[in-house]
Amino acid sequence: MFAFNDTSETRIKKIMAKYPEDRKVSALLPLLTLAQAQEGYVTPEAMVEIGQRLDVSPAYVESVCTFYTMYYTKPVGKYVVKFCINISCHLNGCDNLMEYAEKKLGIKEGETTPDKKFTLLKEECLAACTEAPVMQVNNKYHVNMTPEKIDQVLGSYK
Amino acid sequence: MNTATQTDTVTLTIDGKTVTVPKGTMVVDAAKTVDIEIPVFCYHEKLGPFGCCRMCLIEVEKMPKMITACTLAAGEGMVVKTTTEKVEKAQKGVLEFTLLNHPLDCPVCDKGGECPLQDNTFKFGPPDTRMEYNRFNREKATPLSPVITIDRERCIACQRCTRYSDIIEKDQALVMRNRGFQNRVSTFKDQPYDTRFSGNVIDICPVGALTNTDFRFTARTWDLTNTNTLCGHCACNCNMTLGTRLNEMKRVTTRPNDLVDDGWICDKARWGYDFTKSKNRITQPRKQGQSVGIQEACTEVAASLQKIVEAHGPSSVGFIGSGYGLNEDLYSYQKLFRTNLGTNNIDHKTYTDTPGLPVAHFDLLDVETSDLVVLIASDPTEELPILDLRLKKAMTRKGVQMIVLNDQQTLMDKYASLSLRYNVGSDGVLLAGLNTALQGQSAESDLESTTGVSSNQLQAVAEKIKSAGKVCVIYNPVALTGSSIHTLKQCLATAGGLAETTVGAMPAAPVTNSVGAMDMGVLPDVYPGGLALTDGDAIKAKWGDTAPLEKGLSALEMIEKAKSGELKALIVYRSNPVVDFPSGHEVGEALKKLDLLVVHDMMETETAKLAQIVLPSNGPGFDEGTTTNIGGRVQLRTKGLTTDNPADWKIVSMIAKELGQETAPKDVHAVTAEIAEKVTGYQEIKRSAIRKQGKNREAVASANGASASDGTHTGSGLILRVADVLFSHDKILDAESNLAHQFQPSTVHLHTSDAEQFGVKEGDEVRVTGNGHEVKAEVRISNRCNPGGLVLPKVSDEQGVMSLAEAGKAVSWVTIRK
Repeated sequence: MFAFNDTSETRIKKIMAKYPEDRKVSALLPLLTLAQAQEGYVTPEAMVEIGQRLDVSPAYVESVCTFYTMYYTKPVGKYVVKFCINISCHLNGCDNLMEYAEKKLGIKEGETTPDKKFTLLKEECLAACTEAPVMQVNNKYHVNMTPEKIDQVLGSYK
Repeated sequence: MNTATQTDTVTLTIDGKTVTVPKGTMVVDAAKTVDIEIPVFCYHEKLGPFGCCRMCLIEVEKMPKMITACTLAAGEGMVVKTTTEKVEKAQKGVLEFTLLNHPLDCPVCDKGGECPLQDNTFKFGPPDTRMEYNRFNREKATPLSPVITIDRERCIACQRCTRYSDIIEKDQALVMRNRGFQNRVSTFKDQPYDTRFSGNVIDICPVGALTNTDFRFTARTWDLTNTNTLCGHCACNCNMTLGTRLNEMKRVTTRPNDLVDDGWICDKARWGYDFTKSKNRITQPRKQGQSVGIQEACTEVAASLQKIVEAHGPSSVGFIGSGYGLNEDLYSYQKLFRTNLGTNNIDHKTYTDTPGLPVAHFDLLDVETSDLVVLIASDPTEELPILDLRLKKAMTRKGVQMIVLNDQQTLMDKYASLSLRYNVGSDGVLLAGLNTALQGQSAESDLESTTGVSSNQLQAVAEKIKSAGKVCVIYNPVALTGSSIHTLKQCLATAGGLAETTVGAMPAAPVTNSVGAMDMGVLPDVYPGGLALTDGDAIKAKWGDTAPLEKGLSALEMIEKAKSGELKALIVYRSNPVVDFPSGHEVGEALKKLDLLVVHDMMETETAKLAQIVLPSNGPGFDEGTTTNIGGRVQLRTKGLTTDNPADWKIVSMIAKELGQETAPKDVHAVTAEIAEKVTGYQEIKRSAIRKQGKNREAVASANGASASDGTHTGSGLILRVADVLFSHDKILDAESNLAHQFQPSTVHLHTSDAEQFGVKEGDEVRVTGNGHEVKAEVRISNRCNPGGLVLPKVSDEQGVMSLAEAGKAVSWVTIRK
């Protein structure tokens, strides 16, 4: 079962007040964000709950949720490490960096370490071509990455 | 008039041809009117502009870039070019992209031969691909539902199916998951996509991604013989194409007729035709269980009937037909009984209804053009699925308002601007109250205690009706109790007299040809065309001097008289009284007392088991003739399959010949012509006039009865409401049907307060008892009806819910036992 906690409920009231009744589906993204903040990822139960509140089908919620890579539909680790794989980063060797990170963490792309600390993902574009290759850990950007820098950055996350 | 035309249309030039189209028409549709093809994948005229596949790029003068023809509304003076070098290059480019990951498995693909992607590639595509890398492989042929197979590798992400689910079905069950090249059509958590209308996605899929599981690998599309025919399930009479091969039904597809089905069919139409090859069909005439020739059977029936009429008089024989017959068959039967046997013991139903309407008979298209729809006692979702889609379209896209008056909760409530739930069995009082309100008087004070609806609420309904310009009343006579249908028609007459409002109605009984059966006079008190018995001169002029003028027995009275021994012979046509009549469990005993029981039916039924003589009826797929749908539209049902058995009307005419009838119709069209001549309202019905889109019959005479004062009902327990279910496990959809996964368990829906009173909980197994019968069901505390009533969906023949209802009573009381 999924239920929004009290803090979320207070936020939801404020969010819903922003939109007219017949456009309440506009609150979908903020509600997904809240659900993810609460559970760590968006559970199917949360999708059903959000769908009911906004008068859309759970399938629709799922379609929106899976469109955005920052919403997770599976449990993730404490730190989510993302490598940009789009063209600038690709030309600057992101593939090697990804491989290095995989070896270092002992997991494949899309997986989470057994201690639930790191999840490794690829990202289509992180919008920082000038400083490629780019790596993102949770909400922080790390630019001009090298294997040494990966050691240093990942080491700083305890 | 001229100025109106000028502002409502626009004129543009497409490839040098001048086109005038209504304002708002997309360029792609405008081009079609002058036979210019602009290729599309994602665009579908019923789904509206979308523009995601980029296949329809065109050049328009004075526009800097190419633009998609499916999102561009035709404008005055526009100059469109669809064959320039630039356009051709764009088309080739788009197709090359579309085909990047599309597997070239056309030789084994079911869509092959009727595939827009295949056709467009031949017509507009590049001869080769520059793709050097491996194709992206995805899942092949996985089930999307038990009847639909999805091949995700073939999908080109046009989103027609997901938009259909959203815009037409309105339940967003099918969506695009993920993004980019990982885009994937799916349902929530990959649950089966099993809605009532899911099959339409197969027809609109422009590639072979969504295919009919039952049809897969059974025939190539070009080997099929396609027959344009009608669906024979509900009373919408949707147009469909029956694909057959070697005289076997292979598949059913849509055949768009905007006046009837708006281009869609329900899943029962698509997968509910297994009965054409079922082993439960009656394939041969038989006498006392032994196969006999058809001529011998007819001679025997005629001789027995004649003997009984001579010994006991014409009133000792009777006919129970049903709305499942074609107009021609039903017309022939009533003629046989009236003119050859001299009796009015003719009926086709167990509820009260009269032919004709005191107001205009609205067609399905009127639903969209009305300002207000009043839906009374009808559950279109389960009873008339395509009306359900039409109503959803009207409510959500045409700005029509809807008032729902029903004794049970339905899926239509969601779309209504006002939804009132009256107590089960109180429809007579409610409608009388509405009539009073429409006349501008205040309703009786005890209205609310009887019906559960306050007089203020009814006043609000009346005000809405009065203030609307065009009102369409849709009612289901089967779900009205007692003689409330007469009160309803009085309401209609009152509403029809309102000065500022145009009122029309649509009688929405669920059975295929229920309107036709009424029109054809399969009634004990009305001749064809609504000709009342009181009009003796008119009857004599049309039907001869010997035509009987005294009222005959209704279907239920015939069963009663059979029990008392006064009725000696009965022909039952396409009806199964043992299961479908109130007090059905007692019908069998009554029928056993008859000297002669003839059952003329398509499937083996409980009633056919009791018959001395069984005659085969061919039924949909095999038969040919006309049916009249809820909108009064008469359409032609043609045959796609052949059989050695004569048509139903032919069997009747063989019996009539034995009874001394000298003339016999040459073919079915001769019967249709006779109907046009004899039945008021059908004058214009000719094969040539109805062949394409059907034709509305003119109004038949409205023969209304007076309503008895159905006051309050007294009894103990709860009042029974039997609800229709679309996928009911009956003779048509048997256990081997493709739709068997849609069958539901037997459930009983209770109000919270009643559940407390009977001490039952959600999910409890209980017995619903009444009328000396019991039905097992699982409890659902759904508040589907008001306290004091219970809803029992009729999910199968075996369940036997109709036996709980007491024959001849307006309402039936039942109780719950653990």
